[in-house]
Amino acid sequence: MMTKSPSHDLRHGGLMAIIVLYTLYSALPFVWVGTMSVRTTGEISASHFAWPEVWHWEKFRVAWVDSHFANYFWNSTLVVGSAVAIVTLLGAAAAHCLARYNFRGNRLVYMILFSSIIFPPQIILISLFQVLVEYNLYNSLIGLTLVYVGLQLPLTVYLLEGFFARIPQDLFDAAKIDGYSDFAIFFRIVLPVGMPAIATTVILNFIQLWNEFLFAVVLVNDEKSRTLPIGIRHFMGDYFQDIGMIATGMMIAVIPVVVVYAFFSEKLIQGMTAGAVK
Amino acid sequence: MAVVRLANIFKRYPGAAAASVDDVSFTVADGEFMVLLGPSGCGKSTTLRMIAGLESITGGEMSIDGRVVNEVPAMDRDISMVFQSYALYPHMTVEDNLAFGLKRRKVDAAQIAQRVAAAASILGLGELLKRKPFALSGGQRQRVALGRAIVREPKVFLFDEPLSNLDAALRVNTRNELVRLHHRLGATMIYVTHDQVEAMTMGQRICVMNQGKVAQIGAPLDVYRQPADAFVARFLGNPPMNLMKAAVVDQGGAICAQVGSALLPLGRWSAGELAPSQGQVLVGIRPEELGLVDAAAAAPNTLRGVVSAIEPLGAETLIVVDLESGAGEVTARVHRDVRLALGEPAALGFAASALYLFDGRTEKAVLASGT
Repeated sequence: MMTKSPSHDLRHGGLMAIIVLYTLYSALPFVWVGTMSVRTTGEISASHFAWPEVWHWEKFRVAWVDSHFANYFWNSTLVVGSAVAIVTLLGAAAAHCLARYNFRGNRLVYMILFSSIIFPPQIILISLFQVLVEYNLYNSLIGLTLVYVGLQLPLTVYLLEGFFARIPQDLFDAAKIDGYSDFAIFFRIVLPVGMPAIATTVILNFIQLWNEFLFAVVLVNDEKSRTLPIGIRHFMGDYFQDIGMIATGMMIAVIPVVVVYAFFSEKLIQGMTAGAVK
Repeated sequence: MAVVRLANIFKRYPGAAAASVDDVSFTVADGEFMVLLGPSGCGKSTTLRMIAGLESITGGEMSIDGRVVNEVPAMDRDISMVFQSYALYPHMTVEDNLAFGLKRRKVDAAQIAQRVAAAASILGLGELLKRKPFALSGGQRQRVALGRAIVREPKVFLFDEPLSNLDAALRVNTRNELVRLHHRLGATMIYVTHDQVEAMTMGQRICVMNQGKVAQIGAPLDVYRQPADAFVARFLGNPPMNLMKAAVVDQGGAICAQVGSALLPLGRWSAGELAPSQGQVLVGIRPEELGLVDAAAAAPNTLRGVVSAIEPLGAETLIVVDLESGAGEVTARVHRDVRLALGEPAALGFAASALYLFDGRTEKAVLASGT
């Protein structure tokens, strides 16, 4: 039996140490917020980093029911879920067209989309506000959803176009000979084969929009239409910040992100290892 | 099964200076195995894709079984195609790949299952039906691609260099499998390749293409033995035919081709047959027609020079001889036991009947009335 050399053990140990350090670096803030979510603000003020002596699980009920987090959560789910679904479908269709069809203005459209990624979205905030007011979409979830679609569409098209362009033309030709229309080819070939890239954009868009604060706070004022980040914001007063409830709200907000990431990253890895595109 | 007819087919891509396919005409008989052969960019794949309906036709008329199909979409032409990359749907199992085209054509489920099982049995795919393409070897993927074509029971099978991605041993096996499949199905098949061995061994007829045009069509051995021009002569055969620039001279009443200082007898050609080439010809001779002779002997049908390269291939040896007077070099296929050294003088003899002649300007074959 071969024995491992000391240098191998050293390398292995060093690598493990780095991984452990990085994991602690990433996870400890999360654990800290987690502990704060079951401590009261008074307890936290007394000792910032202490482990909970009493686990105040009732804070979650208070947040969910009394502080209307159920409503915020539903709003966020509705807005972000719809926006991600629309962005994915529209973005994939646009990316497929740009990647596969040679039509006049193809590159022009691509460049316009690309250039809109470069500009910071904040510069359109004021005009967007005006447009939404004009069309009675201010303070509405539909308005916010449309804005989110517009914000995320260029990057989605950009990412998917690069991936779709690498799908071999022969697959499309084979499907044509098999009798499928361009529309059917998009749904039955492009979307399944492009799933790794689509999963990536779903994760990116979901996390980005779920945590989005700036546009939501400007374009939605009504309490019934608040999304989660705005809901958490309302635990922060001018003179008092309810750190304990903020932590509880953050824990509620972060759960869907973890679930979506866990689900789609699995899909992502499956897709990658399956060699979907040779 | 079907007859495929191409009449004066043109293809010019927008913005391209020259036509990619230029006035191509041929007919593939019912049940025939036709091979389109040529170098990269000669237009053979474009021609195949036009037959498949994947490329539009700029001019000419194409028909399958008497029906003009110029404007008929690919799905309505009743053809199947096997691609160089196999083009298997990566997210589907082998079974779904085979059934995908049938489902679209609303074939009932029982028949789909029966046809898939039959194709799987022919190609030995029974064990692989539940696997996805990434879990298959190159040869297995190739068989699935073939199976996908077979289950459709089309009028015409099209193959676009389907063996190019296989290793040498597997290529030989699959080549034989394809020939057996053709015998078994009796289907019309059109096969594109740049590999002359595939063309010679598989095709009932081969259509050699060059620069978008048909250079020659015929049975493999006919094309090999009677090339229509110098391009075909060079393209078919490995190593290719030796071609030497020569002047036609009258040597005491005997017409000869002068290659450097050597005089090669052109007794098979009449003066009338030689006249159009105006004295400038290309003389051709296949490497296997050359044999080492005694350098001291003064036989007329002899090319002399020094050995510049030796390639022992095991079963035989190739030698390259630099001819005297800078007349170029020729390759000879000789017995494996021949022992020669680089720089050694060599004389290569041949039968007068082994010579080919091509017009020096047009490179078209100059045929002898005796042949």
